[in-house]
Amino acid sequence: MKDLKILVVDDDPITLLLLEKRLKAEEYEIKTARNGTEAFDLISNNHYDVILTDLKMPGGMDGIGVLEATKAKNSRTEVILITAYASVDNAVAAIQKGAVDYLQKPINFDELMLRLQRIKNMKKLVKDADDLREAMDITEFNAGQTIQNLELTVAQLQSQLSEVENVLSQKGIDSSERVRLALDRLVAV
Amino acid sequence: MKKITPDEFQIIIKYIHDISGIFLDQSKAYLLETRLESLVKENGCSSYSDLYRKAKADASKVIERKIIDAISTNETLFFRDSSPFDVLQHKIIPDLIDLRTAKSPFLPPQIRIWSAACSTGQEVYSIAIVLKELLTDLKKYNLKLLGTDISDAAIAQASYGSYNKFEIERGLQADKLSQHFSRNGDNWKIKDDIRAIVSFRKLNLLLPLNGLGKFDIVFCRNVAIYFTIEDRKKLFNKIADILEPGGYLIIGSTESLTDICPRFEPKRYIKSIFYQLKE
Repeated sequence: MKDLKILVVDDDPITLLLLEKRLKAEEYEIKTARNGTEAFDLISNNHYDVILTDLKMPGGMDGIGVLEATKAKNSRTEVILITAYASVDNAVAAIQKGAVDYLQKPINFDELMLRLQRIKNMKKLVKDADDLREAMDITEFNAGQTIQNLELTVAQLQSQLSEVENVLSQKGIDSSERVRLALDRLVAV
Repeated sequence: MKKITPDEFQIIIKYIHDISGIFLDQSKAYLLETRLESLVKENGCSSYSDLYRKAKADASKVIERKIIDAISTNETLFFRDSSPFDVLQHKIIPDLIDLRTAKSPFLPPQIRIWSAACSTGQEVYSIAIVLKELLTDLKKYNLKLLGTDISDAAIAQASYGSYNKFEIERGLQADKLSQHFSRNGDNWKIKDDIRAIVSFRKLNLLLPLNGLGKFDIVFCRNVAIYFTIEDRKKLFNKIADILEPGGYLIIGSTESLTDICPRFEPKRYIKSIFYQLKE
């Protein structure tokens, strides 16, 4: 699996530059946006694995707006929010809206890398599960067709045989006539 | 991982069969280890047989319930294998409504459906969504949908009717999702009009099915595969007993009733088959 494609959103150019540099050094594919509106355009037209966004940004769209826009586009894209102050309420609200995590400023890069690694691992597991399920669906479909055809054939043969048995056990009819009728039943289908 | 000894394996598979009907052969020792190890630790047990003794001695049955939750496979998804739902929508429900209307033209047509191993509810809600989309005004019908499962945890989630993004993504089309679920963060909850026609309860399929009432349609998919042949025969016979004459049975696409229950007749509808109780 190729590395994560990450969009970093922050109105502070220094934080943005720093994040871009550090993440590129880890060989992640990075795109940056300087505010929510710019991020919104990028999210609408591109696919990202992870959005790393500041919570408080000036203009029409803050971090929660970016989170909501991301989740509306693709719920599998993970969003990490960056907050200036430790605010449990904000963090809980963000996670309720679908954020995977939040980080406090100043950013601890070791912590950020660990969280990204965790997202990468999880995406790999999800992909493996998808692949397995796909393989299972195909196998199940093919096996199902075979089994269901056999099921119908067996049922048909069983009813045919019970008719033959019936005919052969009718004592009132001459035995050669019984055999003839039984053969008729056998070739009927 | 804590290893299970052959003696412990014998004791525990018998216990699991007794409490759940699930039959595991020697090749499944790893399954017991992966699924029960955390319960061994959680209950402060020194071994699997210690866990067994604690479970047997526990009058509250909390450990027994946790063992069932851990052992039962909850693999399920919305509209798993679409063909049974096509049969339901285009063949079984229209036929049943015709039958009921011909018999009692002035009564709301009665349709009773049982999902015998409903897991976390996806199958029952898929059936309910088919009914809602086909019949439009559910109040004009006398509907009963019952979902049962051996696992308390599965029944609890089914009853709550909330699913995460992974569960939702599997099998559910976007239009059905937005129409029948409301969003809450990364979770989606089934809407009240659908939830209202469904009820859930815990049930062990190996026990007598007393008190369930009669049904027109039974879904029993991919559960008997975990049972012995003898238990399968008993189960499908009991299902035949609680179906109305001519009632319908849907089993998993890779399951077979040949030599299991001759009271059902397989019938083809387009690409898949369903079973009907012989009159």
